[in-house]
Amino acid sequence: MERVVVQNLSKKFKIGFKKRQSSLAKIISFFSGKEPKKIIWALRDISFKARAGEIIGIIGENGSGKSTLLRIIAGIYDKDEGKINVNGKIISLINLNIGLQPRLTMRDNIYLCCSLFGLSQKTIKQRFSSIVEFSELENFVNTKIYQFSEGMKQRLAFSIAIHCKSEILLLDEVFEVGDENFKIKSAEKIKEFIKKGASVLLVSHDLQMIEKYCDRAIWLDKGKIVKKGKTREVVKVYRK
Amino acid sequence: MNAKIKKYYQKIKSILGLSLQLAKAGFKLRNEGSYLGILWYLLNPLLMFCLLFLIFSNRLGVEIPNYPLYLLLGIIMFNFFQQATTEATKTIIHEYRLLIKSINFPRESLIGSIVLKTLFSHLFEIILFIIFLLIFKNSLIGIISYPIILLFFCFFAFGVSLILAALTVYFIDLENIWLFASRLVWLGTPIFYAIEGQTRLFYINLLNPMYYFITIARDLIIYARTPELWLISGAVGYSLLFLVIGFLIFNKLKIKFAEML
Repeated sequence: MERVVVQNLSKKFKIGFKKRQSSLAKIISFFSGKEPKKIIWALRDISFKARAGEIIGIIGENGSGKSTLLRIIAGIYDKDEGKINVNGKIISLINLNIGLQPRLTMRDNIYLCCSLFGLSQKTIKQRFSSIVEFSELENFVNTKIYQFSEGMKQRLAFSIAIHCKSEILLLDEVFEVGDENFKIKSAEKIKEFIKKGASVLLVSHDLQMIEKYCDRAIWLDKGKIVKKGKTREVVKVYRK
Repeated sequence: MNAKIKKYYQKIKSILGLSLQLAKAGFKLRNEGSYLGILWYLLNPLLMFCLLFLIFSNRLGVEIPNYPLYLLLGIIMFNFFQQATTEATKTIIHEYRLLIKSINFPRESLIGSIVLKTLFSHLFEIILFIIFLLIFKNSLIGIISYPIILLFFCFFAFGVSLILAALTVYFIDLENIWLFASRLVWLGTPIFYAIEGQTRLFYINLLNPMYYFITIARDLIIYARTPELWLISGAVGYSLLFLVIGFLIFNKLKIKFAEML
């Protein structure tokens, strides 16, 4: 079954127009007809499919459109051209930002973040202990998040995302902070996840990780697909 | 058709559920380490009341029966509206910027949570008002009708907040403009004065939804009389109108939020 089908997707950003404009400035620029100076295509003509039970790695330099692609699939950004078909519930974990509130305790944060991902109170209650257990932060349930280290926050964020039981998981640079043990543990969890028919899109700069866990890979550069196919081949070309 | 209604119901339910969670979190954040939290909510309307009462009770207030109650009810109702709308101009652009860029959750719940939070602190103001009713030996019967007024009042505040929140993403200084504009509405609404007999002011206030809500509440609660029909239909009409416009504008603009922030 195909979880995500992307066809000829394009996305443009307007550059050079001030987005944080005051009302007066906006009205003036509207009547004087000054339009945005430049348009850049963050994504151009992207097509690929992600089937159930597949991990797809997305690699490329900074600014190549990886996060934009994930955001469009998640429905955070609007697309300009092309088609996207999504089959299943999406959980997006972009730069580990899941709305953790520094001044709230870990317990409150788990409830808050899971609700943001669309879980009901009842479900959160059921999964609470396994979220805590997976993150290995049992001793900090009543500690406020601002006292957490980056690694601990990553553990918590990942643990929450993985326990929201989606069919499609979008991961953007989530393994760049954590320690090796947790990385392996998470990767195993993802494997378990896709066995149940989910599909995962993984953006990462860690090529070893991509090589080890992804079935296929896509190399993006300046918003275009340079190469896609078997992970080993794509990574090999990319390394050059 | 049935499936469509069910879908809408599910959607509204999920928005409300998330609003509640966000409101809870927001409430905990606001009152972190403060034991006097609730008192602070009351301080603002109470001080405002004292000040206006001292100034006006011998002048504008002389001809208004039950002036202290008249004044306090006006203050707390306007306070509700002002708190909700001002926060709405801030929330999306400051507090939840990063979250909007990372997760696709129903954005309406951010505004819903603001209204719920404000509603919660409003309850304490209502209690304060009931104490005033007791002190001034007014009948308490009228207060029973307040929940219905409050329901439509919430619709209205929610609608206006949706509009403001969506537009501030595009017009960054709307936050400041609204601070000023809401102050103007405050002065224009008969809160510490009455507009009986002033034709021009009366006609202007017909365009002011706040006038309808406050007048109805005063009629029912303080003066124990049935408000006129045009007042009631005005309040219901304005609240539904703003609710619909609010949803339309917000829905149209929300897909661009993540890009604009």
